[in-house]
Amino acid sequence: MANEFTILLLIGLPWLGALLVWFTGDSRPRFQHLLAVLFSLAAGAVALSLIPGATDQAVLTLNVGGIFGAFTFVPDGLGVFLAAVATVVGSLAVIFSVEYMKGEAQLGRYYALVLFFIGGMVGLVLSGSLLLMFFFWEITALCSFALIAFNNDDPKAVAGGLKALIITSLGGVGLLIGALVIYGYTGSYEVNDFLAGAAQLPPDVLSLVAFGFLAAAAAKSSQVPFHTWLPGAMEAPTPISALIHAATMVNAGVYLLARFYPAFEGVPGWTTAVVIVGLASACLAALMALVAQDLKRALAYSTISQLGYMVYAVGVGGVFASQFHLLSHAVFKALLFLGAGAVIHSVGTRDMRQMGGLGQKMPFVRNTFIIGALALAGLPILNGFWSKELVLEAGLSGGPGWAFALMVIGAGLTACYTFRMVWLVFFGEPRAHLHAHETGPAMKVSLGLLAFGTLTTWLLVGPFGEMLAETLPHHHLHILDLGELISEILLAPATWLALAVIAIGLAAWWWHERLAAVRDGLGFLARWAEADFGFEWINRQVVRLTRGTAEALTATQTGVLNWNVAGIVGGLVAVLMILLLAWGA
Amino acid sequence: MTDTTLTILIVGLLALMGVGLYGLLAVRNLIKVIVALQILVKGALLALVAAGAASGQVNLGQSLAATVIVADTVVAVVGLALAVQVRRTVGTLDVQALARLKK
Repeated sequence: MANEFTILLLIGLPWLGALLVWFTGDSRPRFQHLLAVLFSLAAGAVALSLIPGATDQAVLTLNVGGIFGAFTFVPDGLGVFLAAVATVVGSLAVIFSVEYMKGEAQLGRYYALVLFFIGGMVGLVLSGSLLLMFFFWEITALCSFALIAFNNDDPKAVAGGLKALIITSLGGVGLLIGALVIYGYTGSYEVNDFLAGAAQLPPDVLSLVAFGFLAAAAAKSSQVPFHTWLPGAMEAPTPISALIHAATMVNAGVYLLARFYPAFEGVPGWTTAVVIVGLASACLAALMALVAQDLKRALAYSTISQLGYMVYAVGVGGVFASQFHLLSHAVFKALLFLGAGAVIHSVGTRDMRQMGGLGQKMPFVRNTFIIGALALAGLPILNGFWSKELVLEAGLSGGPGWAFALMVIGAGLTACYTFRMVWLVFFGEPRAHLHAHETGPAMKVSLGLLAFGTLTTWLLVGPFGEMLAETLPHHHLHILDLGELISEILLAPATWLALAVIAIGLAAWWWHERLAAVRDGLGFLARWAEADFGFEWINRQVVRLTRGTAEALTATQTGVLNWNVAGIVGGLVAVLMILLLAWGA
Repeated sequence: MTDTTLTILIVGLLALMGVGLYGLLAVRNLIKVIVALQILVKGALLALVAAGAASGQVNLGQSLAATVIVADTVVAVVGLALAVQVRRTVGTLDVQALARLKK
């Protein structure tokens, strides 16, 4: 049932929980844990109860008036689905945190920000007004920043947080400009009005909006060339990485592209640009994941790569495939991150070179992690297999052939780096003396439920597709029920090609000792990938240029009163001149 | 109000503002800077009163002027107090010398 009350409850519950946890105070940690778990579970339950009532009509309208228009909330299939992902994965991450953050000094700040983020994310996906969407967009970015920099006495964490904040806010400007331009031309911030009447906008203006939104999406979803913030964001506590930087906030960009796809698909060059962004992210990030030494960074690069698959799917017209992969990825990547969190919590390092042989000491974590890894690699019958094959099939039928070929190679790379990761962490001989212990019940609950989801969410493809198709009238989705999915995927040549490449990827890791000659030959590529393909260098140059300009401009700040007054008078004269000229004209 | 009165008022307020601005641009002593600022604001006051009279909204113009007098007095008091403190701590009232504090 979807009425205004449930919507308010869904955003309000986590926010209320955030306030309560905050006011509880850090002297009562047990009560804080309990409150956070209760409120996040309640929000998850409300979100799930919203699913049957998905509708394309606004169910809650707040008339703000003036240039703000009306703030509406539209719980359509896309929004409700992402709200459910945010709250359910959110509550699992909170449950995981009970153990992971035990004994942490500032639990109030931690839980308050997590719950504030969950509410903000729900608002972002449910809002039907562009301006409101922008507000929630920035709320999530702010929470992400504050949680990355949670250990605020660690300069690396603060730097990572700032980098994430600056890059995503820079992209957010694209969203704001797009929203304001749409308002200027149509007089409404309503998403559905815009989707229905996008053709009435002048082509130039529409393409400005389309590329503005693409920049916003690329920055938020950490796509090339804005991807550099996500690896830095790995300084956050691991449940945060699982929730914000794998399962929810980074999907907001893909959500934005999918939501506005019907309006922008006719813009010349837009779909090609989307395909190229997705393709570059998927392949470059897969290469970087292959050489990463830090467990969480490897997972971060793999997130960029999988988000690239979703962006690519939108670009080739497979909106349904992209959302289906988003669902699978949210579940299995949250599982992988939480599994990594359990390992890191246990051994106290993130460096894979020091791990090895941990599987015997932590069999439960190993087994669930392997389920997630198999899904990431795209092996049948886990959810990642079905959705990735659906993406590739959409690419083969709707996109250029060369892009498809590169994406299939990317799938092979994915398999290779996934198995490298699993092997380095859980198998082989221990490479350092690490004290490892099996995880406790709270972590096991989260890992177990997510592993169960990884095994089963693909069975929901039928109802999931119906819900999207019924409530997204502008999208004309190509949906499948379970039987069609199975027969279509199993009969598609793309699947067998991809499976063959995945097998090659596996074999490449299995025999990597024998392939040493090849590996050494590709050493230049590895070094290039370790250097982030030069994007980090570009970042540093931008920072240097900004700082240099600012320092050069300090020369204008003489501090002499007379000069300041001269500046004021000069400004006054300039304004008067402009006014006079404007009158004269 | 006749045109002549208005002209006289405008010339007067422009002269006040000109003197004030010149002072702000050229003077280096902090006390003199504050005096120049006061002269400038008095020009603005006169402009408010004149504009109120010319547009027939005498009440509006004069009440705005009264408000400005209050605000302006506060500015003068704080400015002079700052000047006293600057003289005591730095030992000079030269605004160009004070600019060196930036470094």
